[in-house]
Amino acid sequence: MTDTIARPEGRPVPATSARTNADSLAERLLETQSPQRPQSTPRIRIEVDGRVVEGFEGQTILEVCRDNGIEIPTLCYEPKLPGFGACRMCVVEVEGEEHPPISCSRTCEPDMKVQTQTEEVRRLRRTNLELIFSDHNAYCLPPCQNKCPSHIDIPGFLKANAEADWRESTRIFKRTIPFPSVLGRVCPAPCEEHCRRDEVDEAIAIRDSHRYAGDQVLKAQLDDDVDPPVPFERQVRSGRRAAVIGSGPAGMSAAYYLLIAGHDVTVFERDPAPGGMLRYGIPQYRLPKVEVLEAEYESVMRLGARMVTNAGLGRDFTLDDLTNQGFDSVLVAIGCYDTNKLGIPGEDADGVIDGLEYLRTATLGLPYPDHAGKRVVVIGGGFTSMDCSRTSVRQGASDVTLVYRRDMKDMPAADEVHEAIEEGVTAIFQAGPVRVITDEASGKVTGVEFIRMALGAPDASGRRRPEPAPGTEFTIPCDRVLLAIGQGPELDWLAAPGNEGPAATKQRRLKADAVTFETDRPGVFGTGDVRIGAATVVQAVAEGRRAAYAVDAFMKGLDLGAIRTRQTLAEPQPEFLSIVPFTAEIKEPRYRMQAMPAEERNHDYVEYELPYTPAAAVAESTRCLQCTCEAIGFCDLRRLGIEYGTTLKTLEPQFHQGAGYRSITENRFTGINHDYIRDDSHAFILREPSRCIDCGRCANVCAEVVGAACYDFMRIGFDTLVTTPLDMSLNDTPCVSCGRCAETCPTGALMPKPRVLQKYEVDESRCILCGICVDACPYDALRDGADIELAHTSRTDPVIDLIALAAIDRETEVTYIRRERDWAARAAADGRGIDTSRLLPMLPPAIGGVPSHGGHGAGNGHGHDHGDGHAAVAALGPGGHE
Amino acid sequence: MATLLRTPAGWPRILLARAAAKDPTDLDAAVADGAFAGLRRAIRDLGPAGTIAAISGSGLRGRGGAGFPTGEKWRMAADTDADQRYVVANGYGADPASHTDRTLMLLDPYAVVEGVAIAAFAIGASEAFIAVRAEHGDVVARLSAAIGAASEAGYLGTDVLGSGRDIDVSVRTVQGAYMLGEETVLLKALEGKRGQPEQRPPHPARRGLFGRPTVVNNVQTLAAVPWIVREGEDAFSSTGSTHAPGTVLVQLRTPSGDGIAEVPLGTPLRDVLKLGGRLPADRSLKAVLVGGPSGGLLPPDALDTPYDFASLRDAGAHLGSGSVVAVDDRTDLLELVGVLTRFCANEACGKSIPCRIGTKRLAEIVDRREAGLLRPVDAQLATDLAHDIAASALCDHERLATLPLTSGMRYFGSEFDPERRPRPAATEASR
Repeated sequence: MTDTIARPEGRPVPATSARTNADSLAERLLETQSPQRPQSTPRIRIEVDGRVVEGFEGQTILEVCRDNGIEIPTLCYEPKLPGFGACRMCVVEVEGEEHPPISCSRTCEPDMKVQTQTEEVRRLRRTNLELIFSDHNAYCLPPCQNKCPSHIDIPGFLKANAEADWRESTRIFKRTIPFPSVLGRVCPAPCEEHCRRDEVDEAIAIRDSHRYAGDQVLKAQLDDDVDPPVPFERQVRSGRRAAVIGSGPAGMSAAYYLLIAGHDVTVFERDPAPGGMLRYGIPQYRLPKVEVLEAEYESVMRLGARMVTNAGLGRDFTLDDLTNQGFDSVLVAIGCYDTNKLGIPGEDADGVIDGLEYLRTATLGLPYPDHAGKRVVVIGGGFTSMDCSRTSVRQGASDVTLVYRRDMKDMPAADEVHEAIEEGVTAIFQAGPVRVITDEASGKVTGVEFIRMALGAPDASGRRRPEPAPGTEFTIPCDRVLLAIGQGPELDWLAAPGNEGPAATKQRRLKADAVTFETDRPGVFGTGDVRIGAATVVQAVAEGRRAAYAVDAFMKGLDLGAIRTRQTLAEPQPEFLSIVPFTAEIKEPRYRMQAMPAEERNHDYVEYELPYTPAAAVAESTRCLQCTCEAIGFCDLRRLGIEYGTTLKTLEPQFHQGAGYRSITENRFTGINHDYIRDDSHAFILREPSRCIDCGRCANVCAEVVGAACYDFMRIGFDTLVTTPLDMSLNDTPCVSCGRCAETCPTGALMPKPRVLQKYEVDESRCILCGICVDACPYDALRDGADIELAHTSRTDPVIDLIALAAIDRETEVTYIRRERDWAARAAADGRGIDTSRLLPMLPPAIGGVPSHGGHGAGNGHGHDHGDGHAAVAALGPGGHE
Repeated sequence: MATLLRTPAGWPRILLARAAAKDPTDLDAAVADGAFAGLRRAIRDLGPAGTIAAISGSGLRGRGGAGFPTGEKWRMAADTDADQRYVVANGYGADPASHTDRTLMLLDPYAVVEGVAIAAFAIGASEAFIAVRAEHGDVVARLSAAIGAASEAGYLGTDVLGSGRDIDVSVRTVQGAYMLGEETVLLKALEGKRGQPEQRPPHPARRGLFGRPTVVNNVQTLAAVPWIVREGEDAFSSTGSTHAPGTVLVQLRTPSGDGIAEVPLGTPLRDVLKLGGRLPADRSLKAVLVGGPSGGLLPPDALDTPYDFASLRDAGAHLGSGSVVAVDDRTDLLELVGVLTRFCANEACGKSIPCRIGTKRLAEIVDRREAGLLRPVDAQLATDLAHDIAASALCDHERLATLPLTSGMRYFGSEFDPERRPRPAATEASR
C-alpha cells in the first residue's frame, strides 16, 4: 500500500508566485500555453536547423518550431497539455548537450542551437517506430486492398454495394480505377486470393461485385443518359495541355485523372478506334466492345478528352511535333505489341502466327482467314494463349491444343484453363517446343516437336524452373501454330529523328522513373506496359493513375523530387498487412456468377457469364468483413512509419530471415506481441487496444482536461497498457462520452463509433422539464422556447418537434464510412488544419458525393468537434424546426 | 539485518559512526555521541545560506547513484521562488538484493532524521518526508520512534531549537516496483499517482512534489550531512577521493561472504572485494557486477578501478544501489545477464516506448541465445538497440537497463559468441 501525501490545502496563493504553484498538468497548462501568456512576454530567438526563429520566453522547443512551421514528429504530445515525454519521437539535438533532449518538454533558452533532422535523431525515431510496430498487432489496409496493384478501397465499395448504392460504389471504385465494368471482366483479381473471408468460408467475389455496380452505372448511362459519377471534384481548368500517346488502359486512366485535375488532354491512338489491348487483345466474349468498353471509355470522353485516332508515334508524328503543337507534357503509354520469339528452328514457317496478330483480327469481329477446320497448337500459358485457344475454338478450328512448359498451377491464367478445357481445348503441360516441322515442298507447317519438361529448382519467380528431359520428344501434328509467349514494347521510334531524349533499358523497355515516371527527356513521361513490360490490365491502370499524379505535378510546376515522398505517403504501403484474426462469422458461401453451358458458348462471342441478380450482388457484398482500419488517413503512426521508412521493404536486407517479413509487426525487433480484445460496449467510442501504442494521450486529456479520468496506465513492464481501470468496460467508467479521447488518439485505438439514431418517442407525461435533453441533443432537434425560460415552457405547446426529428437526415453507416474515407474533406469541414504542402496535388480537395449528404458529415456525430454542434442545424433542411 | 563487515582501521566512519549503539533509538545516548549537534550548529552558527555553502564546500554528492552535487541541488531549490518547499529522503532501497539504506536507517535513525532536518532548514522547507518501503516495518517503527523522540526534545516540529522555523518530518511508506527508487517516480507515488518518471529538466529541485521545489536525497546522503556540519567541510573533503569525498555503504556479495561495509569513495574495487574474504581455493573470480540489477559487469583486470562515480562510469558500471557482487568461474555470464535484463525489462514502468518495448526485445535476444536460437545479426542488433534505448532515455532506469548486456558484451564478448552452444545443464549461479 502506498502511503501518499495529502495535497497541500488550498491556501491563497499570491499572484506573483503563481508560476511555481501549479499542481496539476492543467494548472501548468495555464501558465505554459501561449493564449494565456501575456502579449508582453519577452521574445527570444533560437536557431533551428540553421534558421533563426523567434518565440516567446518559456515556450518549449517544440512550440517554437510548430509556430514557425518546422515539423518535429510527435506521438504522445497533446497540444492542450504540457509535454508528456513518453514517445521519445520529438528528440532533437541541442548544441553542447550530451544526450539529445526531447523538444516537447525542453524550454527554449536564448541563442540555443537546435538540430531537428540529424542522422542521429532520425535513427532514434526510426528505432522507436520499429519498436512500436513490433508490438502493433493491428493492420492498416485489408489484404485485398494491399494486393490490388491499384489499391482500390475494396471494403469501401463493397459497403456501398451492400447498401445497394451502386453509384456510390462506382464512385469509390473510380477513385483508383476509372473502369469498374472493364476490370470486372478482365482483371485476374489478385485481391480475391488474399481475402480474409476465405478463412471463414470462401473469398468475396470482389471482381464480380464491382462489375455489377459498374454495369448498373453503365446501364443508367446508356438507357437514360445519366452521367457516370466522378470520383473527385473537378479542379478549375489549368490551361495546360497534356498529350497521352496510347488509348489503352494505362493511357486512358492517366487521361481520366489528368482531366479531373483540370488539364486539357489529347489522346493519340495509332489504331482506328481507342482501347489498345482492351480492344485488340481481349476477345469479345470476355469484354463486349460496344456495351462495356466503349461505354466506359465514354466517361473519359464526357470529361472533355480529345481523341485523335490513326496517329501512331514514330509513324505519323514525333515527340518534337507534339512539343511544337504546344503540349506542356507528353505521356507515352504505347504498351507492348512485339511478340517474343521462340528461338527454335522453323519458327518463320508459313502457318506460324503471332498470337497477338491473330487476336487483333479476331477481336475486330473478323474471322481469321482459313481458321475453320484447322488443327491449331497454341504455345504459352498467359492470358493471350488462353484468348488464342478459346477464340480458335469459336472460329471452328477442329483441334485446339494448348502447350505450356510449366505445371498448370504455375500458369498465369490458371483460373481460365478449366473453362477452356470445358470448351474443348486440349491442354498439355510441362512440354516445350523443340522445332517446328514443315512440309519441305510447300513450306507449310505440319507439326511441332516438343520435349517433356521436368521441374527443377525454383527460380526468381518462385516457380520451379522447367528443364528438358532428354528422350521424351514427341510431335503434335498441326496446320497452324499460334505463339503467345509474351510481348515487349516497340521502341524503334526512339532512334528516329524528332524523338531525341528518351532511352531504352537493358530489358528493352522505355526508361522512366518508377515514382515520377520521368523519361530522360524533360516533360516526357512513360507509363504502363511500355515501362514495366507486358502486365495485367489492373497493373496498367495503376501505372496510368500514378503517372497522372506525376504529370499533374510537373504541369503545376511542383518539385518532382518532393513528389517522391508524398507519393509514397498517398500510396498505401503493401507491406502494411492485416494480421488480425477474423471475428466469428456465420458461414455463408460465395454467390457465384453462372456461366452459359460450354457447348453453347464455345461458338458464340456473347459474354458467357450471366450477371448477378441485384439481391445476389447485395448479399455477396454483405459478406465482406470490412477489415480495414478506420483510422487510416488520420493515423500518425502510419504516417511516421512511412516517412521514416520503417516499412519492411526499406529495412536492411541482412535483417531478413527465412521467408522474410509478412506484416507490420515483423521487423528486426519482432518478438512477442500483444493481442487484446476489442471493446465495443460503449455507445459512442470504440476501443481497439491492439492498436494502442501506450502514448498516454487519452489518459492525460481525460484526467486533466475533461476531469473524468477514465483511462490510465495499467500493469507494468512490457505488458503496460493504457486502459480503463481493471480493463472494465468504458461504460462502467465515469465516461461522459465527450469523445476527446478518440480525438486525441494518434492511432485507431480509440475511435468514434457511428451513431445510428433510431426514432425517438418522447413520453411527455413523464417529462420534468429538466432540460438535459436540450443540452445533450447533437441535432438541436430539442430546444427551449424562444422567449420563455425552459422551466416555464407550456406543455400544450411542446418544444420537442418530433417531425423535425424524424426529418433529420440520419447518420447511417454509409454516411459514416463515406466521411471516414473522404478524410481530407472531412478534416476541412471539421476545421482541422491540413498542411496542403503534404498533400498530393491530385488528392481530393472536396468530394462530389451524393448531394443529399452534402451539408452533412461535419461536426456532429463523432464527437470530434464540440464548439460546432450547431453546424448540424443546416441538416434540418426544409422540415427544420425554425 | 545484514552483517556488517570489518573494515581496515584507517578507514573513516561517517555513516556508521554510531552503529555500535546498544539502542539506536536512545536519543540521549545518540546526542551524547554527537547527534543533533550539526542541526544546532546549522541553525545557530551557519544559517541557511551558510549551511548550503558548507555542503557545497564539502563536495558531497548524491549517494543514490547519480552523484549529483548535493549543495547545488539544495541551492537550486532554495533559489526557486515558492511558498512551499519539500525535502524527501529516499529510503526506498529499490534493489531487492541491497540492504544498505535499510541497514543505515535501522542502525542510526537519528543521522537520517537530523540530515533531513538540516536540509529542510537550509532550503526553507517546513515539511519533509522519509519514503520507506511499506514492507520494511522495522524501519518504519524505528524511524517513527526516532522522529517522536526528536520532536519531543525540540529537534523537530514547531520552532526548532528556537529558530522560529517549523520542520515537520514524517515517514511515508510506499510500495511498488523497482522503478520507485527513481526520484521523479518516487514523487509521483508520494502524490498518490502511478509511479512513472517525469522528463527532466525541470529538475525536481525546481518543480517536484505537487509542483513545489523539492530536494530528493538518498538517506545515505542525508546521513552524511550532520557529520559535515558538525565536523566541518574540510574534514569531510579530506576523506574519500578528490572529486567524490566521503564514504558510501556497500552491499558486498562474494562466494566467501556477504555483508555491508562503509567504504571510502575512491577505494580500489580490489580492496572492496577483499572485505568479503578470500575466494575458496577451487574457484577464481570471473567478473564483478557493480551497481545492482542494472549494474555493469567488470572483468578481473578492472579491479584497480577506484570505487567512485566517474571511474565506474568510465569503466562501464555505476555506483547504483551500492551492490558489489563477485561472480566466480562457475557462473554462466549469459544466464546472469539474462536474469538482470529480464528483471530490468519487467520492472519498466511502461511510460517510455523504447523502455517498455526495447528492453523487452533485448531480453528476447538474450532468451534466444539461451535457447540456442541466436540469429547471426542479433549481436549487432543488441548493440544498436541498447545504444538507441540509452540515447533516447526518459529516466535513469531506462538509461541503465541496458548496462548488464552492453558491459557483458564489451568485456566478455566470447561468452556471447553466437556459435557457443548453451550449457547442457545450467549450473548454480554464484549468489
